[in-house]
Amino acid sequence: MEALLTQLGAGFVSVFAPANFAALVAGLIVGLLVAVLPGLTLVMGVVLALPFTYTMGITPAIILLTAMYVSGTYAGAWTAILFKVPGEPIDVPMLWDGYTMARKGEAAQALGWTLLSALFGGLVAATAMVLLSQPIARLALTFSTPEYFAILFFGLASVVALGGATLANALISLFIGLLIATVGVDDTYGAHRFTFGVRILSDGIDYLIVMVGAFGLGEIFMRMEQGFKSVPLQSVDAIKTRLPRMSEVLAAKNTFIRGSLLGIVIGIVPGAGATVASFLSYGIEALHGRRKAQMGSGIPEGIIAPQTAATASVGGAMIPLITMGIPGSGATAIILGAFLLHGLQPGPQVFVTSSHIVYSVFASLFVAVIGMCLIGYFAAKVIVRVLDFPEVIVSAYVVMCCILGAFAARNNITDVWLLVVFGVLGYLAERLRFPVPPLVLGVILGPLAEQNFMTTMISFSNDWTVFFTRPVSGPIMVIGVLTLLYPVYRHWRATSRGSR
Amino acid sequence: MKPRSRVARALPYAVLAAAGGYLYYVAAGIEFHQRAGTLGPDVWPKAILTLLILTCLYQIVKLLAFADPGEVAGATERMMSEAARDEPAVMAAATEPHWHLLGGGIAMTVLYVGVIQAVGFFVATVIYLASFIAIGGYRRWSVLAAVSLGGALLLLFFFMKVVYVSLPIGSGPFAQITLLLMQLMGIR
Repeated sequence: MEALLTQLGAGFVSVFAPANFAALVAGLIVGLLVAVLPGLTLVMGVVLALPFTYTMGITPAIILLTAMYVSGTYAGAWTAILFKVPGEPIDVPMLWDGYTMARKGEAAQALGWTLLSALFGGLVAATAMVLLSQPIARLALTFSTPEYFAILFFGLASVVALGGATLANALISLFIGLLIATVGVDDTYGAHRFTFGVRILSDGIDYLIVMVGAFGLGEIFMRMEQGFKSVPLQSVDAIKTRLPRMSEVLAAKNTFIRGSLLGIVIGIVPGAGATVASFLSYGIEALHGRRKAQMGSGIPEGIIAPQTAATASVGGAMIPLITMGIPGSGATAIILGAFLLHGLQPGPQVFVTSSHIVYSVFASLFVAVIGMCLIGYFAAKVIVRVLDFPEVIVSAYVVMCCILGAFAARNNITDVWLLVVFGVLGYLAERLRFPVPPLVLGVILGPLAEQNFMTTMISFSNDWTVFFTRPVSGPIMVIGVLTLLYPVYRHWRATSRGSR
Repeated sequence: MKPRSRVARALPYAVLAAAGGYLYYVAAGIEFHQRAGTLGPDVWPKAILTLLILTCLYQIVKLLAFADPGEVAGATERMMSEAARDEPAVMAAATEPHWHLLGGGIAMTVLYVGVIQAVGFFVATVIYLASFIAIGGYRRWSVLAAVSLGGALLLLFFFMKVVYVSLPIGSGPFAQITLLLMQLMGIR
């Protein structure tokens, strides 16, 4: 414990170094702005920020992206509460109690509860991240390829089962993503797969190009189809935050704890992210909370539950990324990309080889959570004004950032063509209701899954049952299969009830 | 659901299944030196393609054979659908599609990528930003000009001077313009 605190202390010192602190503040401000703008999701924001980190050192780069990620879970709630405009899908539950509170003339209190919830959820998750990472990394050191494959299978199963689409469409998206990941020269045999004689395809398709194309450009094409619009802002000058009294906070302590723990767990599960955490936490509060009957009528519990869970999911999602090198969400996939771009592979060894970087990132999450709440308390009024900015101009710059990000990756115009292709694909996927996150996670996790599958097959004489018979991989595989089957069972139960 | 609408809904799955079939054929022709007792590099893509084709066929059969085929939804989809029922104004803000805007946007982006090597980053970006914003319906011309010109200059400076990305300078007179700007901004 003493060693851990010493390393964390050194991490805090590193965070306040000028370059790192500047990156943190920049990340927080941009993250808050991105979250407020309804057209930009937090994943898109982190994607677009990546090219700006190419020349930074690894620590400020990761700190910047992590700060953007965490602040992206917070500021969207402001516009949901004040203007009924959720900045992100995460913030939809804020409409039920947050906006209702604002309509009752308690907007300042609603913003106060949001701030406190983000602060509590963020700090609890950051603490959990620090405490759990080393033990999980030690455990991960004992894992072999079947265990890694099982974890990846579980992650892919959860992104399908928990996603925002039908199961069949999510599966199809995932398979397309896994297929894109096979393009290029195979590592084991050196065989060309789906390269069609195009030289640049031999190097494979960089998942960052797929992400920037599908999440960034695809989303802009979608907004073009819907037409650009701006949000009329009323009474921005009256925006202020009023923190609740200690007695009120203590009365809702169980909701704070429940939301935070749920957020951490959901964050750790690869594939599930802040949106799932936010909705699920609200749902649990509505089912089991102390004031479940009043949920939806504008009570603090309806704000605390989703906000604590959403912010806490960030700390949770960082755990598998740092300890096993497995990104569980779009944002952590980009953070993984930033690690790799700077020559560091996250995983259990990272605590031995680069602990100073890891603990700087850990410490930065604490500082980022406190910083975003301070900015939220003093500057929400100013940041919300970004909604006044014409959406079409923001979109034009988003496209430019997408193009420059793709070009800067390898200084090759072919990557920009690929970006446009994936942008159109992303748009079509959205239009036809094929979810984009499984596709992207398929591209990211596909090579890891294939590598671990093939190595297992070589090591265990092509015996695929090994995944189910080993003490660690077996249960994980079974949970993965059950995760996939649960929505089918739920659907079957609902239809059989309906037909009775 | 009407038979025509069912066919229309099944069409994307049919296209994907056909594409999957073709790629399976391509995967079957992957060249490699087989090692005894080990799986080849074609196994993984073939397995994925098989699953893809089976899922598409399942969807096609379901859509064509049943008048009202239910859908198994993911957890977030279920929660979002419930939210849409509670907040229809916010969640289902369906608007008339702006096909001209979408078509124009995609065409402009393709054109931009197509000419950027010849015209150079700066000139292409100024024109692209201005056209994008104008097509998007923004009509304050002074702001439009400032945003396009200023933005292109800022991006040129940042990416070439700070991030050291070698952006296309163009050829002929366009290269002269870019080189002059680079000189003025102290970019080597």
